[in-house]
Amino acid sequence: MVQRNLRVQKRNPGHWFLLFVLPFVDALLFGSIGVAFGEGDGPVRLLVTGILLFHLIWQLTLAGSLGLLEEVWTRNVLNLIATPLTEREFLGALGVVGLLRTAVSVTVIAVVGLGFYAVAPASAGWVLVPSAAVLLLFGWAVAVFVVGLTLQYGDSAEVFSWGTLVLLMPLSGFFYPVESLPAPMAVLAQAIPLTYVFEAVRHGIDHGSIAWGQLGIATAGTLVLVVAAFAFLARQLGRFRSEGWVTRFT
Amino acid sequence: MLAGVGSADDTDPMPPSPSPHVLAAHGLRKRFGTTQAVDGVDLVIEAGERVGIVGPNGAGKTTTLLLLLGAIEPDSGTVDLVGQRLPDGRSAAMERVGFAAGYLPLPDRLTVLETLELFGRLYGVEHPRERALEILTELAIDRLADQRVESLSSGQATLVGFAKAVIHHPQLVVLDEPTASLDPDVAMRVRDRLEHMNAEHHATLLLTSHDMREVERLTTRVVFLRAGRILADGPAAEVVDDAGYPDLETMFLAEAARLRDEAV
Repeated sequence: MVQRNLRVQKRNPGHWFLLFVLPFVDALLFGSIGVAFGEGDGPVRLLVTGILLFHLIWQLTLAGSLGLLEEVWTRNVLNLIATPLTEREFLGALGVVGLLRTAVSVTVIAVVGLGFYAVAPASAGWVLVPSAAVLLLFGWAVAVFVVGLTLQYGDSAEVFSWGTLVLLMPLSGFFYPVESLPAPMAVLAQAIPLTYVFEAVRHGIDHGSIAWGQLGIATAGTLVLVVAAFAFLARQLGRFRSEGWVTRFT
Repeated sequence: MLAGVGSADDTDPMPPSPSPHVLAAHGLRKRFGTTQAVDGVDLVIEAGERVGIVGPNGAGKTTTLLLLLGAIEPDSGTVDLVGQRLPDGRSAAMERVGFAAGYLPLPDRLTVLETLELFGRLYGVEHPRERALEILTELAIDRLADQRVESLSSGQATLVGFAKAVIHHPQLVVLDEPTASLDPDVAMRVRDRLEHMNAEHHATLLLTSHDMREVERLTTRVVFLRAGRILADGPAAEVVDDAGYPDLETMFLAEAARLRDEAV
């Protein structure tokens, strides 16, 4: 399944755009905003690191949700069900592809950041390692949730694969402290685990140390989300079989 | 060239199931909303049988097949497929079951060879590429190997779908409308191939079709469905005799007309 996904993505120009062009443009956009409006190298480091982390999580989410959507679009779901392939193996393949996508797009942003703005990917320090781990877990939880929605709504669920993280990006302060948000939104932001990851990353950039408290809250919140996402998927798979949703994909 | 199925390759046909039945379904029921799609189907199929499920549209043929494959869970009843109780044994069972449907496309953006290789791997074929080339040659469509699936005609795609279903020498081949979009020549080749698999390799066949002559030729047993229930079960000649019709097509048309009248 990994090989199939890679072949499909290689032959679909849309995936090349998502993997190479969009990360390049994003890095250019946010890096230049940092240079234009910031004082010193702090803002540009913050913005380039922010967009790098956004793509880290977004590409994983996309791979998970688009992987199933590809089977929906090509009406291949029943073909796969009629093989020994298990749901775990299917999801595992999507996860591997997601990590590969993440590696590619993050590399593109790292090269642009380093080459054009002298921002090293590790400029936030060691905090990036646990932060990236929490973000990958969060991204996978979102992907699993979208897979569950796709089982029910088919390609109508496509918007969630693109949009969920775009919605979370402003709310969880990828590029700024959430105190900058309007007051009601700032309260909402406190309920999103991503908020604490980015607070920890900003703390790393500003002070060079790791805010373990923020990371702990982020990890706990993300684990709750992972459990909820898999519970939702298990429920959706049960309904898929009992309500005969497979016939929607034939 | 259709002969030589399974000859001289790395994936000898699976040994027969330790279960006495290739398929045993008891008391299958499935309701969708207000529609009782399947209503108490009991079906036992022995190794080497060739069974055709027939009935007018809405009789419950495809739902029954999907229940038997474990793609849909029944509201009640049990399915034992090649010795595995569904749903828990679904993955193990599918290693020995092949499925193709005339209405089901194959995944885009892959060549025919890549598609067969993919499904060969999923079915656990040891050398999937070699086996894919072999089956393409057996079906006389090896010239399509490097063609992208989306560029195939519907007849060619159906043949590739059939190749996908038998790439792993399944013990049970389940086919939903297998020759629906094929021209008579290609349809005949598929039928020959199915008969060969059954005769030489003792493969069990379970198929649905709207072509009653095809059913009469290919099957040794007909299961006639009406409103999700088995109306008749036996050799085609026996089924039509008992129902008082000259042949299966006449019986099918009479049932379809009856359904239409009931709907009015």
